[in-house]
Amino acid sequence: MVPPVLARERTVAGPGYSRWLIPPAALAVHLCIGQVYATSVYKTALVQHFDTSLTAVGVIFSIAIVMLGLSAAVAGTWVDTNGPRAAMVVAAVFWSTGFLVGAVGIGTGQLWLVYLGYGVIGGIGLGIGYISPVSTLIKWFPDRPGLATGMAIMGFGGGALIASPLSARLMALYDSSYDATDPASVPDGHAVMLLFVTLGIVYFCFMLFGAFTVRVPADDWKPEGWDPGEVAEKPLVTTNSVSAANAIRTPQFWLLWVVLFCNVTAGIGILEQAAPMIQDFFREGADSSVSAAAAAGFVGLLSIANMAGRFVWSTTSDAIGRQPIYVVYLGVGIALYLVLALAGSSSTTLFVLLAAVIISFYGGGFATVPAYLRDLFGTFQVGAIHGRLLTAWSAAGVAGPLIVNKFLDAHGTPGELVAADYRPGLLTMVALLVVGLVCNLMIRPVHARFHEGSGRSEHEEVSA
Amino acid sequence: MTARITVAWALVGIPLAYGVVETMRKAVTLFTG
Repeated sequence: MVPPVLARERTVAGPGYSRWLIPPAALAVHLCIGQVYATSVYKTALVQHFDTSLTAVGVIFSIAIVMLGLSAAVAGTWVDTNGPRAAMVVAAVFWSTGFLVGAVGIGTGQLWLVYLGYGVIGGIGLGIGYISPVSTLIKWFPDRPGLATGMAIMGFGGGALIASPLSARLMALYDSSYDATDPASVPDGHAVMLLFVTLGIVYFCFMLFGAFTVRVPADDWKPEGWDPGEVAEKPLVTTNSVSAANAIRTPQFWLLWVVLFCNVTAGIGILEQAAPMIQDFFREGADSSVSAAAAAGFVGLLSIANMAGRFVWSTTSDAIGRQPIYVVYLGVGIALYLVLALAGSSSTTLFVLLAAVIISFYGGGFATVPAYLRDLFGTFQVGAIHGRLLTAWSAAGVAGPLIVNKFLDAHGTPGELVAADYRPGLLTMVALLVVGLVCNLMIRPVHARFHEGSGRSEHEEVSA
Repeated sequence: MTARITVAWALVGIPLAYGVVETMRKAVTLFTG
């Protein structure tokens, strides 16, 4: 049960309500929760404040990402049933409370409270917030679902771009001895605590703007001039409906789970070690021809590529189809990864270009997957199905760094290695992409026995 | 409705533009050293 003002029935758009108000409502949520990828800006400050290790502080981020996947999977059906406004308000409450509890943890010197606050409570807000606008956007943009979800999920990438410089400026305001332009300068714990309080309040207001702007379309609404019959003419696109409970019983769901897992793991392979990696690739003896400042610039460039890929590739998928665009992400990704592993150290320009395109595919994979789910399972419970699929992200978030670090640890410490030391890890990512590509090519339309309203038989043959 | 759409896009577009510009400034160091 939700308060009447948040109920789905109260959010049905009246005649004349523009669908172009829905993407900014979705962006308002995703720009806030995207902050989770900007935690590095206060990581060192927390290490010093709690007098602990980088790993112990890194656990905060890991808990948040695992909770994202779990809460999206568990709350997906609730989100689809109660509508986007209730979901966005709940996400805002959890995300902001997470910051405030985290601030209490920093203020009282209790790291476990930061785990509980930002990690667990905030992580629940992340998961619910991430899926909250997805099915609504798809219903408003049945003609261009890739464009719609691309715009929203681009916001998740953009959130970190905003939070990183904004946090640095706010901490400089709260701690006069901290110089945000000096990499050696570290803010005190009090400044990070005040930052958490500020972000908690600002994000709450901003997410509420999204919650009270979003609307669901009326049942009989469709875009002007759009013929629903066009959808059925495209390969792999259904006009039928599959429930979330049935979706996870289909081979298509698990094939797509593996596709997302492989694509995300491969992207993390570069993102995890981006700054030391570019320096190591162009190392001669003890020195690298790429400075620390240039390496930081490389990380910034990858963030832009990640965000742009979410919008550009997802929009492109509306024109060429979802399965073909994943063939590009995975197939071209294989070729790019191979060139990166075998010839990436021959030119800085080539290295930067290859990494940027690979990361744009990583972002594109995230943004395109809701539309792929819509194509396969229909709009009925696409938000809940998307939530369940995001467990692949959580799994990749654990597997990706493990794979990369395992290979690198065998050779030394990132920042002191050479290009050849990265080769085994990168070639492992190539193998993962091959697995993802094969799974993508195996996806066929969902069998009719899983469709809503059909008489379901356990013994019917499944077309996968 | 047009005014409402403009305001809504400005509210999300301005912070996003700020983030992109700040990141681009940082990324420039990749090419300048």
